[in-house]
Amino acid sequence: MMLRRTFFALSALALAWSAQAAPSVGQAAPDFALKDADGKAVKLSDFRGKHVVLEWTNPGCPYVRKHYDSGNMPATQKEAVGKGVVWLAINSTERASYEYMEPAKVVAWQQARKAQPTALLADEDGVAGKAYGARTTPHMYIVDPQGKLVYAGGIDSIPSSNPEDIKRAVNYVRQGLDEALAGKPISQAVTRPYGCSVKYKG
Amino acid sequence: MNLLRLLPAAFLAAFLALPAAAWAQGGPKSVVSTERVRAELMAHAPEGVAPGKSVWVGLQVAHQPEWHTYWKNSGDSGLPTQLQWTLPQGVTAGEIAWPVPKKIPIGNLANYGYEGTVLLPVPLTISPDFKPSFLGGDIDVKLRASWLVCKKECIPEEGEFAIKLPAKSTTALNAAAFQAAFDAQPQALKGEGKAVIDGNAIKLTVSGLPAALRGKTLEFFPETGEVIETAAQWTQAWQGDDWTARVPLSPQRAHSPGVMPIVLALGDQGWRTEAKVQGEWPAVAAVTGMSAALEAALRANQAGGGSPSAALAPTTATLTLAAALLGALLGGLILNLMPCVFPILAIKVVGFTRHADDRRSHRIAGLAYSAGVIASFAALGALMLTLRAAGEQLGWGFQLQSPAVVAVLAALFTLIGLNLAGLFQFGSFLPSSVAALEARHPVANAFLSGVLAVAVASPCTAPFMGASLGFAIGLPAAEALLVFAAIGVGMALPYLAASWVPAVARLLPRPGAWMETFRKLMAFPMFATVAWLVWVLGQQSGIDGAGALLVLLVAMSMVIWALTLQGRARAVIAAISIVSFGLLAWAAGASITKPQAQQQAVRGEGGWVPWSPGRVDQLVASGQPVFVDFTAAWCVTCQYNKKTTLANADVLADLSAKKVALLRADWTRRDPAITAALAQLGRNGVPVYVFYKQGSAPVVLSEILGVEEVRSVIAKL
Repeated sequence: MMLRRTFFALSALALAWSAQAAPSVGQAAPDFALKDADGKAVKLSDFRGKHVVLEWTNPGCPYVRKHYDSGNMPATQKEAVGKGVVWLAINSTERASYEYMEPAKVVAWQQARKAQPTALLADEDGVAGKAYGARTTPHMYIVDPQGKLVYAGGIDSIPSSNPEDIKRAVNYVRQGLDEALAGKPISQAVTRPYGCSVKYKG
Repeated sequence: MNLLRLLPAAFLAAFLALPAAAWAQGGPKSVVSTERVRAELMAHAPEGVAPGKSVWVGLQVAHQPEWHTYWKNSGDSGLPTQLQWTLPQGVTAGEIAWPVPKKIPIGNLANYGYEGTVLLPVPLTISPDFKPSFLGGDIDVKLRASWLVCKKECIPEEGEFAIKLPAKSTTALNAAAFQAAFDAQPQALKGEGKAVIDGNAIKLTVSGLPAALRGKTLEFFPETGEVIETAAQWTQAWQGDDWTARVPLSPQRAHSPGVMPIVLALGDQGWRTEAKVQGEWPAVAAVTGMSAALEAALRANQAGGGSPSAALAPTTATLTLAAALLGALLGGLILNLMPCVFPILAIKVVGFTRHADDRRSHRIAGLAYSAGVIASFAALGALMLTLRAAGEQLGWGFQLQSPAVVAVLAALFTLIGLNLAGLFQFGSFLPSSVAALEARHPVANAFLSGVLAVAVASPCTAPFMGASLGFAIGLPAAEALLVFAAIGVGMALPYLAASWVPAVARLLPRPGAWMETFRKLMAFPMFATVAWLVWVLGQQSGIDGAGALLVLLVAMSMVIWALTLQGRARAVIAAISIVSFGLLAWAAGASITKPQAQQQAVRGEGGWVPWSPGRVDQLVASGQPVFVDFTAAWCVTCQYNKKTTLANADVLADLSAKKVALLRADWTRRDPAITAALAQLGRNGVPVYVFYKQGSAPVVLSEILGVEEVRSVIAKL
């Protein structure tokens, strides 16, 4: 128990030190240890050997709602998880923000929209978010089985709040995963994330 | 009562009010107000509306305190305001002439945008095509605008606006607002700008700025988004007349432009230049591209390190086509010894003894059988590749995932069994021409027994075959078919060798009366196969489906027997049996192919739980090792392993000692999620046995599970 807590503190510290330099695509994706909605520790490195999608989320953000209410994000999640991809939704909204929702409530909110990521991770201190340079909700990343960052950017190609645009947009995450799973390099590895800013602590 | 009397009056009032309400809501106006902004569509045509005259329209946004909207590059988050115009023919709108923005920090992020009141002007071009109507001739200007307004939280808003511009007079009411917007435009610089890439930063040098600015600290705004680290610390310095700066690049840069348009500002005043980029942009996306399957296989090999599992671990990563062909050949050979091929061996043995006295027909039969086997494997492979190309999630053994195919095979085996048992001779009821064909064409007969052998043997992926098939799926079609054909060659090889090498043939016993006994004996493996197929169907379609199949098999047998009778008895009994077969097929046939309602019901034997997508990840993430048994009812190898190694007391004790979670992925019916999971392991058929453990890659075991193999892997968990 004690050991576990020490480990948490240490990894948090390590992340804080490296927080200034967000990784480039092609570099090692920073490891993190965050708690899921049940309070269980989840580390990125647990999923070595698999592709992992990181999705910065915040149900209070209209752009997140655009992709959840339309079913776009849940469908992309389901498709990815069905292909054996790990999907981690991360909420870096600080507790003081009025948009802050407790993890269990975010899970309920997601489930009401038929979304089932592998886990929802709480990052109220923004440690993981800052380590990745996550700026917006949604802001998407793909980590390859070797733990390398292979995609950073938006969910799709049309930055707008209009759900009608989803049909016409290129879903960069779906496209990137398809390419990565086929063993191909991701053609659009860095794109523009769009949405609300992440409500970081401090 | 009162209410009733009031009603007509209420109706009348509503009726009268209707046109008024419609009028009040009628069409867009020039102002849209929300809780956060007041937006107004304005026009400025001091010289009237005519070709060549300066005509401006614009959206003025007045923000509530603390709220802001965005510049053309919104920075770390946010979105630029968007304007969509609807204009009469001959009138076109230009780009927004963005006034100089402000840098708005939000925590550790930064945006570029506007607070207070801002006017976004847009020039209109009036072409000679534009013909104002004779009757007063207003120009209808319609705008659909969308803007994102943020404080800390963000609200996307939009509005529809409309104004009429008098074509025959001037419009200068908003001259002051437009003048302020023009004054806030960045001025083009005469001097040049340079942007030199310096590691992970960009060094800017801008010359030709007004002398009054010298020594002053300026603001800097790049028009291209996703290049610099917007919120990062940056430095600036004056070197003589030149302004210089060093700005860090974003590690997640989305653009690598050759020219960077930038705006420098002091207060409301700005200057714009297009800086030429010199030097190489640092790479943002190192090419990476090893598939998960490849990686899993590589790691499995590493993890095995000389243990029995290493020897049999899939070697997809290093598998060349030659190796895949060799593996397929070996797999085909071993297929002859697999439990599910036993009935086919029986057919072959009977065939052998029948032709034992005739060397030539022996050889021909051997060739025909081989041709049948190879052609069937290639055909099945082609069918699977075609279906996969059409988007179906299929894997090897897919043919037995269909209850209809299982039922047809059961009927076929019943027929062969009855024939071997001596209930009927094919000649006795087949039209004589067909019977003669069969007798006269032992070649066709041998070919067809090869086809039959493959139909039943195909679900058994033998050792070495699994990796080869998984590899074949990713190959060009021609090469993939070659791998399938190699399996056929392997499977046919022993029979072919026996038929061509006299030494082997001489080992076979001489024909005699014993042959009739042997033939009848071989009927029992056939019926055993039927029992197995009925059980498989029971897994797919439930007890009703299996029951229906049994009833139909009995009825079919009766039809066969009736057809062997002679004279009037044949006519009557055959008619009765055919009718009853038809009725039964009509009544019960549907339940054979009907999916079982609770297909995924927990088969709770020995702590096994059903596999589901993502389940492995959740368990592994919680620190528990996981063992997955990818299996199917129709896969005899799977059933054999399940009843032997996976039921072994030592193995079970080891599994529970290490608290291994046991998941069973049942592929009896089609399941795209399981097909995808198999693909990730570089496999394409069952059985597959895998251990997953936190922090290390999955370990794939061999297809015929050995107790020692499983225990040695568990010991390393």
